[in-house]
Amino acid sequence: MNDFPGSPEDQDLRRLLNDAVSDVEPDQTFDEIRSRTTASGSSRRPWIWGVGAAVVATAATITAVAMMGGSPGTTGAQDPGFANESPTAGAKDGTDEPSDGPSSPQANPVTVPVYYVGDTGRGPRLFREFHTLPGSGHVPMTLALNEAVAGTSDDGDYRTDWPASTTVDPRVRAFDGGAITVHLRNSEMDLRERPDNMSPDVASMAVEQLIYTAQAGTRTRAPVQFTLNGEPTEAVLGVPAAEPLSEGDPTEVLAQVWIIEPAEGAKVESGFEVTGLANAFEANVQWELMQGEEVVESGFTTAEECCTMAPYSFTVKAPPGDYTLVVHDSDPSGGEGFPPWEDTKNITITE
Amino acid sequence: MNVSVSWDADTAVEEMYAAHYRRLVRLAVLLVRDQETAEEVVQDSFVAMHGRWRTLKQPDKALAYLRQTVVNRARSVLRHRGVRAHHMPAVQPDHPGADVDALDAERRTHVLDALRELPGRQREVLALRYYLDLSEAEIADTLGISRGAVKSHASRGVSALRHLLKDAS
Repeated sequence: MNDFPGSPEDQDLRRLLNDAVSDVEPDQTFDEIRSRTTASGSSRRPWIWGVGAAVVATAATITAVAMMGGSPGTTGAQDPGFANESPTAGAKDGTDEPSDGPSSPQANPVTVPVYYVGDTGRGPRLFREFHTLPGSGHVPMTLALNEAVAGTSDDGDYRTDWPASTTVDPRVRAFDGGAITVHLRNSEMDLRERPDNMSPDVASMAVEQLIYTAQAGTRTRAPVQFTLNGEPTEAVLGVPAAEPLSEGDPTEVLAQVWIIEPAEGAKVESGFEVTGLANAFEANVQWELMQGEEVVESGFTTAEECCTMAPYSFTVKAPPGDYTLVVHDSDPSGGEGFPPWEDTKNITITE
Repeated sequence: MNVSVSWDADTAVEEMYAAHYRRLVRLAVLLVRDQETAEEVVQDSFVAMHGRWRTLKQPDKALAYLRQTVVNRARSVLRHRGVRAHHMPAVQPDHPGADVDALDAERRTHVLDALRELPGRQREVLALRYYLDLSEAEIADTLGISRGAVKSHASRGVSALRHLLKDAS
């Protein structure tokens, strides 16, 4: 069926392209196609899901596409069928799963970046974790957003401040390249208002949490338009949100020291590598391996750059046992200014 | 393979969706990069296929039509987006992370970014050849170009992609 030679390079390219989209789990939107094909028989129906500027842009795109797309004829002289419905040579490593339909949503797990709030010496700030979730057939970004509002962080120091029963509608198309639309739902309380027990700082960080998670999920810095229960909203948790919101300055929103590896609760061997991101004073990153109050090992390293979130890494050797790893920046004020930034992970060093 | 079925247009859409939706979305992601846009392109293609089912009648023809429509619409979206690219924030990959998942994501991002750098025809030929595993003749039909053109786009695309990925690593 394939008359291209199956050289090793061809095999590599097959693997490469299959891998590149192996984490793409389309939203299952059969109902929407159905509603468009049965309503009037016309494809120029109103674009019904979602509201706001992003959707206006989407509708414009679709209309333009509908007019520009032309109508390709069929050419099926040999009609060879869909070559890839069965696993093909070169598509190894499980990258070539059989197709699935609306009735059998594939449970391929997807790994998504999710932001949570942690308390720091300078108030609530964001930390990031990677969560592996069962693929429900929805867009990974919406899975990540639901994990952000209602999921549990691995690190017990982090949390979400979103009111209970908040969800992000996963069935709604959310990104057209111009703005990301995040469709919040909560049937129990009005998310427009800031709850009495929530400070303005916490509310604004909760909104940033979703902006950062949505942007990470789309790998863009596109602004985020919030909607509430399917309607436009002028505010979310008391934060004005009538227009799409850009992310806040990372130096004011993110915690400035993160441990990425090892994760909370990890079991590692002595000589393990610690990696993370830090925006540390003069790029100096310090660490301690603690057992209770006792410092068992300590050291310092330099992040790759100063004055931005930059990668750092170091290795730690210590006898087997349970530890708390603390990574922090140095305190240039000698204790008079803000407490240093720090992140901690509880880990176990195994034999 | 040339089977006529007694599906009506609704059934055809349902069957074709069940069998091919995900793979076509993944194809579209290779072409347009952004998943939401990719899904729109594929959904629109299904709607278009529904309208044409009377003349298609066969699953294989419907599939060829879907492939072709996805490629054409993806191309239109990109042309349209070229204008908007200026006032869009640059795509910024997620923060570098050393964990395996982040590395996987980064590798995938590199490949998708590199594909976006290629001229449209080369990107289309590579996606159809290496992702859908289509033959030279099938690609020529899908794109409405000669087999010779398919060959030359393929070889240029492969060497351009190799070059881009070397630069990136």
